[in-house]
Amino acid sequence: MVKNLVKRFPGVLALDNVSFNLRKGEIHALLGENGAGKTTFVRILYGIYVPDSGEIYIEGKRVVFTSPLDAIRHGISLVSQIPQLIGSLTVSENIILGLEKYGMMANVRKVEDYIRRESEEIGIKIDPSTEVWKLSYTQKQLVELLRAVILGAKVLMLDEAITFLPIREKRRFFKFMRKFASQGGSVILITHKIPEALEIADRISVLRRGKYVGTVEAKAASLDTVRKMMFGERSTQITYERLPSSKPDEKVVLEVKDLWVMGDYGAFSVKGVNLRVRAGEVLGIAGVAGNGQLELVQAIMGLRKVRKGRVLVSADGNVIDVTNKGTGRVRSLGVGYIPDEPLKFGVSVENDIEENLAMLPLIARGVIKWGRLRKRAQELIDKFKVVTPSSRTPVKLLSGGNIMKVLVGRELSVAKRLLVAYNPTRALDEVTAVTVRKIIKDRVLRDRLAVLLVSEDLDEIFQVSDTVAVMNSGRIVGVFPIDKADRDQVEKLMVM
Amino acid sequence: MRLIVTKRVKPLRFGGIVIPFLSIVIGIFLATLALYGLAQVPPSLVYGAIGQSLVSPQMLQTFIMLTILGVALIIPFSAAVWNIGAEGQIIWGMISSAFIGLSVAVRYIMVSPTELPKYTNMPGMFVLPTPTVSGAYAVEALTMSPGAAISLMLIVSAIAGAIWALVAGLMRAYLDIDEVATTLIMNYIAYYAYNFIVYGPLQGITISTSGFGLSNALHPELRFARISTATTATWEGVALMIGIFVAAWFVLRHTTFGLRLRILGSNPNALKAAGINVRKYIVAALAISGAIAGIVGTILFAGNLYQLIKIKTITTPPTHNIGYTAILVSWLSMLDLRGIPIAAYIVASLFQAGINLQSSLGSVSSGSAMISSGALTYVLIGFVLTTFTVLRVFSEYSIKVVRERG
Repeated sequence: MVKNLVKRFPGVLALDNVSFNLRKGEIHALLGENGAGKTTFVRILYGIYVPDSGEIYIEGKRVVFTSPLDAIRHGISLVSQIPQLIGSLTVSENIILGLEKYGMMANVRKVEDYIRRESEEIGIKIDPSTEVWKLSYTQKQLVELLRAVILGAKVLMLDEAITFLPIREKRRFFKFMRKFASQGGSVILITHKIPEALEIADRISVLRRGKYVGTVEAKAASLDTVRKMMFGERSTQITYERLPSSKPDEKVVLEVKDLWVMGDYGAFSVKGVNLRVRAGEVLGIAGVAGNGQLELVQAIMGLRKVRKGRVLVSADGNVIDVTNKGTGRVRSLGVGYIPDEPLKFGVSVENDIEENLAMLPLIARGVIKWGRLRKRAQELIDKFKVVTPSSRTPVKLLSGGNIMKVLVGRELSVAKRLLVAYNPTRALDEVTAVTVRKIIKDRVLRDRLAVLLVSEDLDEIFQVSDTVAVMNSGRIVGVFPIDKADRDQVEKLMVM
Repeated sequence: MRLIVTKRVKPLRFGGIVIPFLSIVIGIFLATLALYGLAQVPPSLVYGAIGQSLVSPQMLQTFIMLTILGVALIIPFSAAVWNIGAEGQIIWGMISSAFIGLSVAVRYIMVSPTELPKYTNMPGMFVLPTPTVSGAYAVEALTMSPGAAISLMLIVSAIAGAIWALVAGLMRAYLDIDEVATTLIMNYIAYYAYNFIVYGPLQGITISTSGFGLSNALHPELRFARISTATTATWEGVALMIGIFVAAWFVLRHTTFGLRLRILGSNPNALKAAGINVRKYIVAALAISGAIAGIVGTILFAGNLYQLIKIKTITTPPTHNIGYTAILVSWLSMLDLRGIPIAAYIVASLFQAGINLQSSLGSVSSGSAMISSGALTYVLIGFVLTTFTVLRVFSEYSIKVVRERG
């Protein structure tokens, strides 16, 4: 279906002569490490990017897509990791935006009925008349999927679209994908979870650094063979063994006392949380997304108002109350922060790597010494193996994983006492994720850094934490030293 | 057959120079056609007027003010804070520097007509041309050195402009009230305040000024020094332009303040997470912008006008709406500081061309004389800008034709 696709970005060859076949009725997983070109590839098929050269054929006919509308007309649709719905409109209004079947004068009731029918078929429960801003991430993502299924009758492309769905919804959607395929639809599934790909896909194709590596039948492939295709020699670095740890110090760096924080919709999201993180300790907070972890982290960082309770950071022997004192104050105590939604809260994508370093008050103040910053940026690029033409490349031209590396590297460099991290390895491929965890852990061991790690990935929690806390419905429902933590018990507490 | 439009990976080579140049040439050509078609203005006149204005010393003062104002606007614009209120800030700059120049830095001595000859040639004394109501003449005597007085005028006008902008800045930062609306509305408040002041606190004391909406004239030693008799541009204006331009370049490129302003334009959330108080930056961006615009008020008052004259109709303020024209300049520069002088030069020339054209049309007896110089100016600027916008698309996007086999 796709022949010799080439796409260049400034300084980067994103796709280098990639050819690819998608059969009717198959689920085809597309894998590759960060920056391999997976996202670029599906965006070309969806008409967001126009390739520099190469051709696309559908059922033997050559097609040219210059906008997503062209792709949708051919029954192709794409869902990405971040929901792109219009918040002030209802679910059904969002969906009919791209529907040609119902014209300008659509009857709302009729459309809602249609959407209700379709969503039942797919196994998604959603009220079509709700405004989108009221929905959680998971619900929004389900709406995106629903919309894609309705629009894309033939080919459904999922770019990490179901990676962050809760297990139950994910299972249900897998089931639908099978059915969709058996009725003659095709799916391109991008994920960085290889076991998932092996389980659901018929065939697996791998990209590496913009080049097509190969395609294998999922039945004939194993975790190791796919990893080897993705990472080559480096695949041996992947491990889920516990990383070396030491006993935490007695000194408490961060203390959270009876914290109450409001969520976005006027209800308490954090309900009386107590936490202590000691020097040389990684406190991992496990939990299903949306149980107050985000609000907790934002409140600690001074980005969300604390209604009740205290946040205390100890620095140089003094305990400093930073409750509602603003992010600047918290950070001035040597606190690094890796936020959720890194493109929105972590980096400024229009600016280059050097500027993204200099924006932190902990790195530059007053007059900027660009020479020194260049050196600092280069060190970061070398240490984290960031794939970029130079330190002066705008961050938006880097791949998602490389942006994450810049962010993690920057925050680790300013974290003198404490690092607060929310899903720090999200969107990173396995090799990079392990590397990042090792670097964090290394700082904990060497510099006695305290780390508050919130993660939806239990593998990650168990790999690096010294203490595991489980958060559920705004409360901490269990705290275990790692040697006493039982994975089954943690999982039970998460969904209790 | 289909057209494919893609964003160029690299911008066209020399596009930054070729595109504005081509748009001027094509834009002027089209404007000539339009003027000929609609009002039978002979093309030779148009070309003559434009040719003249490109090298005319008269446009220099407009160029200086537009450059400074372009810089003033690019600072908040790069932070996505829209200062539409340069007009009002200039007006307050004028008022406050007039206050210093006409009442703080000078004292008025009343002399009878018989004593007048003694004072007319006395150094440091300036006789106002007409007598006061009582029949005595007023003589302006400096109370401080001219250098100190001029510095004070500049400082006070900067503060006044900053305060005027600050009001909108505080409302935007702390109450979330859109600054586009407030800065715009505050321009009109400034116009009316100006009229109130020229009829009130700063009204002149002579029979030809008092009650006529005119202030006293500025003492000659406080007036800026003209570069030559052919132009209203002043050495002080040139120095301020260079100084402000260099300072703005340094702040935007080499300080964390400037960097964060630029980031504020694209991603305020990242700044918040970095621990920056975004509100302070919004307020500061507007205040700095207002301060620079306030200084332009002094350049206008002490360089050109020397006197506050009432605003007869709200569309003809003493600023000649340069505060709005400057918005054009900063857009034309594509928010790149280096583009500001170039854009200011183009706009100032076309401004002058309109005026030149009007005066040469006056000598040609035809129906076209009805076109005002303002209209001519905007016909020229409008055509050039439209061409520029179209050509820019070609420079940033490549367009290919692809055959589709069905």
